[in-house]
Order: sequence, then structure tokens, then C-alpha cells
Amino acid sequence: MAPADAVTSTVVLPDVPGLAGVYARGAGASGRLAVARRLGRAPSALPPVVYAVDGVRADASRLTEYQHLLGEPASDRLPAGFVHVLAFPVATALMARTDFPLPLAGLVHLSNRVEQRAPVLLHDALDVRAWAEGLRAHRSGTQVDLVTEVRVGPSLVWRGVSTYLARGVRLGVDGAAPDEDRDEFVPPTPTGRWRLAADTGRRYAAVSGDRNPIHLTALSAKALGFPRAIAHGMYTAARALADVGAARGDAFVWSVDFAKPVLLPGTVTVRVAHDDADGFTFAGWDARSGKPYLTGTVVPYGG
Amino acid sequence: MAASTPKSHTGAAAAATGARRALVLGGNRIPFARAGGAYAHASNQDMLTAALDGLVARYGLQGERIGEVAAGAVLKHSRDFNLTRESVLGSALSPETPAYDLQQACATGLETVISLTNKIRLGQLESAIAGGVDSTSDAPIAVSDRLRRVLLDLSHAKTTGQKLAAAARIRPKDLAPAAPRTDEPRTGLSMGEHQALTTAQWGITREAQDEVALLSHQRLAAAWDAGFFDDLVTPFRGLVRDANLRADTSMEKLAKLKPAFGLSLDTPATMTAGNSTPLTDGASTVLLGSDEWAAAHDLTPLAVVVDAEAGAVDFVHGVDGLLMAPAFAVPRLLARNGLTLDDFEYVEIHEAFASTVLTTLAAWESEEFGRERLGLSGAFGKVDRARLNVHGSSLAAGHPFAATGGRIVATISKELHRRKAAEGGTPRALVSVCAAGGLGLTAILEAA
Repeated sequence: MAPADAVTSTVVLPDVPGLAGVYARGAGASGRLAVARRLGRAPSALPPVVYAVDGVRADASRLTEYQHLLGEPASDRLPAGFVHVLAFPVATALMARTDFPLPLAGLVHLSNRVEQRAPVLLHDALDVRAWAEGLRAHRSGTQVDLVTEVRVGPSLVWRGVSTYLARGVRLGVDGAAPDEDRDEFVPPTPTGRWRLAADTGRRYAAVSGDRNPIHLTALSAKALGFPRAIAHGMYTAARALADVGAARGDAFVWSVDFAKPVLLPGTVTVRVAHDDADGFTFAGWDARSGKPYLTGTVVPYGG
Repeated sequence: MAASTPKSHTGAAAAATGARRALVLGGNRIPFARAGGAYAHASNQDMLTAALDGLVARYGLQGERIGEVAAGAVLKHSRDFNLTRESVLGSALSPETPAYDLQQACATGLETVISLTNKIRLGQLESAIAGGVDSTSDAPIAVSDRLRRVLLDLSHAKTTGQKLAAAARIRPKDLAPAAPRTDEPRTGLSMGEHQALTTAQWGITREAQDEVALLSHQRLAAAWDAGFFDDLVTPFRGLVRDANLRADTSMEKLAKLKPAFGLSLDTPATMTAGNSTPLTDGASTVLLGSDEWAAAHDLTPLAVVVDAEAGAVDFVHGVDGLLMAPAFAVPRLLARNGLTLDDFEYVEIHEAFASTVLTTLAAWESEEFGRERLGLSGAFGKVDRARLNVHGSSLAAGHPFAATGGRIVATISKELHRRKAAEGGTPRALVSVCAAGGLGLTAILEAA
């Protein structure tokens, strides 16, 4: 599996970059990008690069903390969301490049799809590859897919596609259907409820390393335009995956669409059930308004 | 067990396995109190010891070395790791009486009866005492996880510097106590909220639930008035009757109560404080033994514990309601014993909520449930309401979680014995207790 573009170069990083530094670089790049855009000199294509880090290993105590926080059993198998936490900073580093056409600061996580093709174990050495593809128009801006692949030896064991939206950015690129009609969400019978404390963002930041200020405190979130701190989307998606439990099997596809941010503290009413012939569906919504926060599926991986 | 097990008569299931009979010989409990009431400052150990001592006094067991005592509590402090043994040591039983703690949520009390009678049937025990206790007034409160970690690190620290570093990690919010959780850990919904979903699924009305509650109070009051509990209950801390009992309640009074669960569903909320069990404090014990031990101690066998079956449902993914496990366990139990619901003179279904009883009955009466979920050719069967919870149940008596099984077993065993003495035959009782975690425990008793 390789990025779509034919001509690519591979940038090998010595280690998975820390997200704090990446965000700082990304903020700088975003500022320069805004200036460049006004001057008509902004990049309008994705950089033809693949970022690579080899031999990434999970830390046992961080894994335990992640599993406790998300409600996963403390097994030596890495939860699919934990592999995302380990590998995705490589993709984030790519988004912080000065020639990346969308500003890292303010990108909205629209959806995420993970193929867990085989179990990943605590002692496995993970080879990570990340690139961007599918730059396309969205009804309110431009969207892009960040692809992250994880191999153990020669086998591709995990593949994530994270779709981000840069709101208000128009690059004149062709779009997929610019206004894909969403089915009207009808709240189903709940199977549970997540009561998310005010420190949910800080606790997920501690295990994921993603200390984006919009997740940390009401004050830092306000500075970036949110009324309160918001939960990490991948935290809510990983809670849903944990709720599916062992029934997800060894190899599965975990897909989620994020409809609306969850303000913290907050309550998410959820249904996680074997409602589809193919496997599990999940949804989290606001019981008062009936509006969804996230919807998704966990189905067996077809190979 | 072989599929060819003959239709059960006295001890048939035991006979089929070559095991001997295990008998219920009596019981004793303390009156159940409302949370924050008469037992507000009594601990689990205080109440269990009181219930044991009442049993000892009633059956002349002072200084007796009982084969084994098993009891438990649902809300239990970690320091009570030997709650039952400590209660035995504080009682008038011989200090050489062994004991163990057991915990299976609200099925704890019934499971102590089942596991001890199994030991008696196997010949490992001649005598035993089953029991359970719970206090919601004196519930354990833990420190927060963060504070706990700091305190543990502090206790492992060797140098002053390490100690200071550990102590410096304490934040004001870490000092907030962590009360025991009443929500299901995997769903975040309380038991009442779960049952509200099941109630709505089965279309159980408010009126039907209030009728169950009213009947429970009327029947328990009648049993108290008739002196039925005089040799089953020992007063404690000034309480002589179950404090939750409202002999004068009525459909009008019950109808005035505001719904407490299911408020955010799109169907009308029907579950109130009146048709749900209140938080309760109390303890119960049951005396068990072999025929030989009963004869040697001049005790009258009341009932035989014939067989039991546990069940569990996948409530986490909404396949079945949280408290619906007995709806599956009972059909298995009866099939194994060659019995139908019509073969029981008594049916005891623990009233966690009035609607728990009604959703269980509705499932058994449903053709669709019988065919699709139980694999039968039609509905499992119908319970004659006149045989159901004849002396009232948890809605009236209250429900100190682990003490409920002992209350039911002692009450129905006495009733079975009374019925046999009055009318002959071998009357049977079916006992069904639902429990947190999607668990259920069911048993068959028959007059000894």
C-alpha cells in the first residue's frame, strides 16, 4: 500500500514526534500560511512525502493508564485507539509542514476509520508510515485524509484514515459530493450513558499526548472559540469501541463520524448494540436535543 | 445431569445424582429498616451478628460448632474481608465454627443457601448457616483514586524528600470522597434507569405496577398481623416490624407519587418510589442441615432445597433488560427437573421493582419470547397471581441487598411446611432473584 501520488519521497524521523512541539510548529506554519494565502502564494497541493518512524514500542504503564481511562481490559493487546495514539503524531508532524496546504490550527476531525487487521501486542516493534491524500472540497471548506499504516515486520496490522476539515479554506480543488445529505438522526433506545467530568480532556491528554488547548480547560478552549473545553473525538470513539468489548474480535473495522463536539463536563447518551447484520453500530447523542455527537460501526475486517 | 431425569417428587433431583437431601430447618432475621433509620449507626457486622444470635437463641445453638457459615454483603468495606467469620466470632456459636464470605450482588443471600446445601448434599457438611446483610446507611466511602495512589506512594517512600514529593501531589479536589457506585459500571445507567427501559419495552403500565406494590404491602401486613413472622424475626434496636411496611397504603396514595425513573424516555415514566424498593438496612440467616443432624438436634425439617440455576443476560448491548436473567434461568431449571410453572404452589419473584416481576411474567407469557428467546414451541407459561409472593416481598419489606435471599428462603420454607401440614402432598416453591450485572439466580424448594 502506498500513497496515491506516484512521485513521493520518504522522510524518516528518528522517533515519534512529541505533539506539543508539532502543535507549536503547526501554529507557526498556520500563521505563515494565512499570510501566504493573502499573497496568493499558498500551496494548493499535498506535499508528496511519506513520514516514517520505525521500531515504535508501547510503554506498559501508559498502556495501562489508557486502558483504565477508556474502560478496556488491561490486556497485552493494544486497543486500536491506543495504536492511533502511538502512531498518529507522525501524521500530525506532516500536517505541520510549511508546505502543507491546510492550517493545522483549527482543523476539525470529521471522521476516522481504522482497520485492525491483526492483533498488536505490547512487545511488538511498530513501523509507522503516514501521508496525506484526498485533498477535496467540502461544503464548508476543504477536507483531507491522513493515512497512517502500522506494520509489524512485513505485515500491515493496522491502518487508520483520519479525515480533517479546514473550515472556510477554499483551494479550488475538486470535491467529492460537496453536500452529502446526512440521514436525519433519530435517537434509538439507549444502552448506556457516559458522564464526562470536566477533566476528561486533561485525562485523555495525559495518556494520548494530545494537549490541544481546546481539550484542556474552559479558559484555553474559550480563547479558541469554544464555550467550554471539548472532549477529544478519539476519546469518545474509543469509549464506544471499549463498550463493544471482546465481541469485536481479532480483526475489525472501526469507523466513526463526528457530528458535534462534546462540551465538558457533559453527558452523552449512547447505544452500542449488535443492530446490524454485519456487526455493531454505535451512537452518542444529547438526550435533551436529540442531536448526535458521534455515530459509527465496528464490523469484522473482511481481509 | 441426564436429560432423562424423572419428574421430580421429594428429592428426586437429589436422588437422581445419588446425593442426599439438604434441608431448610429455620431462619431468623432482624426487621428491615429504611436507610438512615433505626440501624443508621449499625455496621454490617453488627447486624449480621444480631441476626446470627437470634438464630442461635431460637434453635438452641449456643456453643454449637456449625459445619460452616456463609454470608455476604453487597456494599462491603475492604476491612470486612472476613465479615462472616468476624460475625461468627462475635456470636454465641462455637468459635470453632468455620465461615466464608460470598458476594453475588443481590443474589448473594440465595447463593449462600445454594452453595451450602450443595455441600450438605455431597456429605461435606452436616449443618450450615446461610446469610446476608447490607447497610446503605453505613456504606463504605473510599478516597479518590488519585489520593489513594499518593497515600500508597507516601507509605512506600523512604526519605523525607520522597515523602514530601508524594505529599505535594495532593490536590484539593483529590480529597473529595468516592461513594460506592450504584450505577452499572459498563453502562453508567442506574438499576432503576435500566429497569425503566425494560418496563417500556414490555409496555408495563403504572397501574399494574402500583397494584403489585399495594398487594405486597397488604400481604406482608397480613402476615405480620397473623403472627407469621413471630418465629422468623428477632427485634433489633427498637424495631419490631419492617419499617418500610405501609399497611394503610392504597392505589390512590401510590398514584400520587411522582415518577423517579425513565424520565428521559419517549414513553410515559411509570416507576415511582412506591413501586420500587427503597434503600434498606438489615440482615437475615437460614439454618440448614442434613436429616441426621436435624433429628439429632430435634429440629423440624421445613423444606428441601431441590435444585438451582443461575443465569445472565447481555444487557450491556441492550439484548435483554438488566434484570431479566431469571426469565431465562427458570425455564432451564424447570426443564431439567421435568416441571412446569403449574407444578408450583408458590412462586417467589424478588420485587426489585414491581415492574421486574411484571416484565418477567410478561416474558413467560409471550409466545414470541418463548419461541425466539427460549427456543420453546410457544409461551413458557403463566403464573397464577394467587401463588405469587404470598406473604409480600421486597416492595413492602424493603431490600437490604444480600439479606433478601435469606428472607425469601426462610419465609417460603415455613409456608411450605405449614401447607404440607395442613393439606398434605408435597407443595413446591420457585424462587427467583434478579441481580446487578445482568445476573439472576433461581431455585426450587419443596416441603420436607
